Amino acid sequence: MGTPASTYELTRRAAVGAMAAAAAGYAILGPRGTQEIPRGRVVLDYWEKWTRHEGDAMERVVSDFNKSQDRIFVRYLVVSDIGQKSLVSIAGSRPPDIIGLYAFNVPPYAEMGAIIPMDELAPRAGVRMENYAPGVREVMRYKGGWWAMVNTAGSIALYYNRAAFRDAGLDPDRPPRTIAELDAAHARLLRTDSRGALERVGFLHREPGWWSWLWAYHFGGRIFDEASGRALLDSPENIRAMEWMQGYARDLGLDRIKIFAESFGNYFTPENPFLTGKVGMIVQGPWIANLINAFKPDLDYGVAPFPTVHGEAGSSPVGLIDTDVLVIPRGAKHPEAAMEFIAFTQRQDMTERLATAHCKPSPLTSVSAEFLAGHPNRGIGVHYDILRSDRAFVPPRTRVWQQFKDEFDSVVQRMWRLEVPAAEALPRLQVRVQSLIDQAADQQFRRHGGADPAPGGAA
Amino acid sequence: MSVPGQATHSRRSTEQRAARRQVLIGLTWVSPWLFGAGLFVFAPMAMSLYYSFTDYPLLEPPLWSGLDNYKRMFSDPTFLRVVWNTTAYAAVSIPLFTIVALILAGVLAKTGRMSSFYRACVFIPTLVPLIASAMVWMWLFNGEYGLINKLLAMISIRGPAWIVDRNWVLPSMVIMSVWGVGQGVVIYVAAMQDVPKQLYEAARIDGMGTVRQFIHVTLPMISPAILFNVIALTIAAVQVFAVPSVMFRRPDGQNPAGHYYTMYLYENAFVYGNMGYASAMAWMQLLVVLLLTALLLFAGRRLVHYARV
Repeated sequence: MGTPASTYELTRRAAVGAMAAAAAGYAILGPRGTQEIPRGRVVLDYWEKWTRHEGDAMERVVSDFNKSQDRIFVRYLVVSDIGQKSLVSIAGSRPPDIIGLYAFNVPPYAEMGAIIPMDELAPRAGVRMENYAPGVREVMRYKGGWWAMVNTAGSIALYYNRAAFRDAGLDPDRPPRTIAELDAAHARLLRTDSRGALERVGFLHREPGWWSWLWAYHFGGRIFDEASGRALLDSPENIRAMEWMQGYARDLGLDRIKIFAESFGNYFTPENPFLTGKVGMIVQGPWIANLINAFKPDLDYGVAPFPTVHGEAGSSPVGLIDTDVLVIPRGAKHPEAAMEFIAFTQRQDMTERLATAHCKPSPLTSVSAEFLAGHPNRGIGVHYDILRSDRAFVPPRTRVWQQFKDEFDSVVQRMWRLEVPAAEALPRLQVRVQSLIDQAADQQFRRHGGADPAPGGAA
Repeated sequence: MSVPGQATHSRRSTEQRAARRQVLIGLTWVSPWLFGAGLFVFAPMAMSLYYSFTDYPLLEPPLWSGLDNYKRMFSDPTFLRVVWNTTAYAAVSIPLFTIVALILAGVLAKTGRMSSFYRACVFIPTLVPLIASAMVWMWLFNGEYGLINKLLAMISIRGPAWIVDRNWVLPSMVIMSVWGVGQGVVIYVAAMQDVPKQLYEAARIDGMGTVRQFIHVTLPMISPAILFNVIALTIAAVQVFAVPSVMFRRPDGQNPAGHYYTMYLYENAFVYGNMGYASAMAWMQLLVVLLLTALLLFAGRRLVHYARV
């Protein structure tokens, strides 16, 4: 019996030809990017971490820039874990042209030469340092150099539920100014059910717990001295601050807190415990007003500087400045064009538009009356006060800050669970963190000798 | 007229040429793999071995530092903590996983109505992506709204805050790992079905009950499959990463009890920019995996029965 005439034997040539045809077809007819890039323009890649309404607002700024001229086209790309991916892209010599990072990224990136100094680029593009609020300038500068531009500014304040204040017999127009007043307000706001389970607390240090290292500053201390490169974790102020935190864990009861905290929804949801009224006072940035406006517009909230241990009346407020920054990475193909785009985002109308969409203050000293009058955050004045305050502070500026913070967070968790007294844990942590700082300094010295590792900055 | 010696020589050289040609053709066909493996596996491995002896902050060139990175591990409290957490997880999860998988396989190996359905039910959870199942388990373990604590409450037990309370992190991780037991079950069922029936008949004639048959017949006969599974589980446990990264990473920091070796390695490489130290950790991990595998294979020589029936 012979082979049927219809049988087709697949030859090697036919197989390779079929694969080549498939590849060609995919190349010609396959999916295309949705963005049409006009011909003849310099294309800039801009990586940003923002999503949702924050990302939409920035995309509108990008779109306006693209329409405003015909030489440069900016491609906006949302990137998660932006710090890590930027690091890898710069190390691999394939960075984007502009990256939207966090303020705490600036010192390590500057020290490693991962970003381009702006001392000459920025003035050429018409941007002047003195246009920015004093606290914001601290973020932009490092070791005398100008490394970053702030696109949205944030300062951290106390947000409190005015309705809950009224319910607890507190004056909603008189937020706590001292730590003792905060404790008293917390005690009044505390509510339990018939079984003793927590229904509402006044204040909870671990909610949301993003800045576990903050309290020392409100107790008159700090956790790092930039001039000497020394951690100050075992300072009396920090120990007192952490003992204060442990007092809450002890009084509320760890088991009760654990069960209560598991009933909290995620931060970016309507189940955020501040929105649901489970936590009466929280430490937050201005962006929380966006959540309130979106999910609980009828929430009657107030904003005040976070109290200090002494609460000096009439003095400037103490508060953390935490901002988003724009940087130009080393290896960017078009640094001049990138600076032109960044300068566009720094125009007063653009910063105000972005700040309004983000519910944040503008980073500039000069703002329009309309911006303030129509701002969606009712506490914007408080955030401005902190930005201008001579007692405001920025995240510790050390190359090992991320690891410093992770080590700190880990020990704070143990202290919060009352596994170790603050007076015992903090000196040990001091040794550990100082060794990290010293090790980084030693490696830096071996690499660069006595030379400034963050060159390029004008004094 | 040809000389016999010359003909033999000529035939041999023809055969040699043909053999060389065969080797060349073989190498040509596997060359894409060789090229890919060389470029993307062996070259990075060689580079990471070099980096492990350097101070390499990723954005600056590596600087030779000898054994510093390896010495540093033993004085790094976070390193010691993640080693402890990973060891504890491996020590508890591997035996438990193996026992549960063997029991389930013992039950499911019996053919009958619906047996394929039950096997599929046990295997299906392993098809769920790790991140998705971690998210589901986070809700199941939720102290306030979680199904597990609701069920415990029905029998008057107040459930713990599973993924928050450091004492319950290991149990919750182990329970979650057993969720993926289906993979082991499938291998054990296949091995059990290959056990010759006459061995069971002989055992029954000798008066053995079901349990003794399982211990004295089934287990020795499927011991190669058990060894394979235990080695695979050991490698997976030492490298555990995705699930704890999702479950125990909270806005206020990593739960220290849910911090594992590979997570710390990743943080050093891509978050702290300590690529030299991370490379040293990776090589240490490889050495530990190789050592454990060698120990298991050595133990297998005594304990594993390779039947010739």
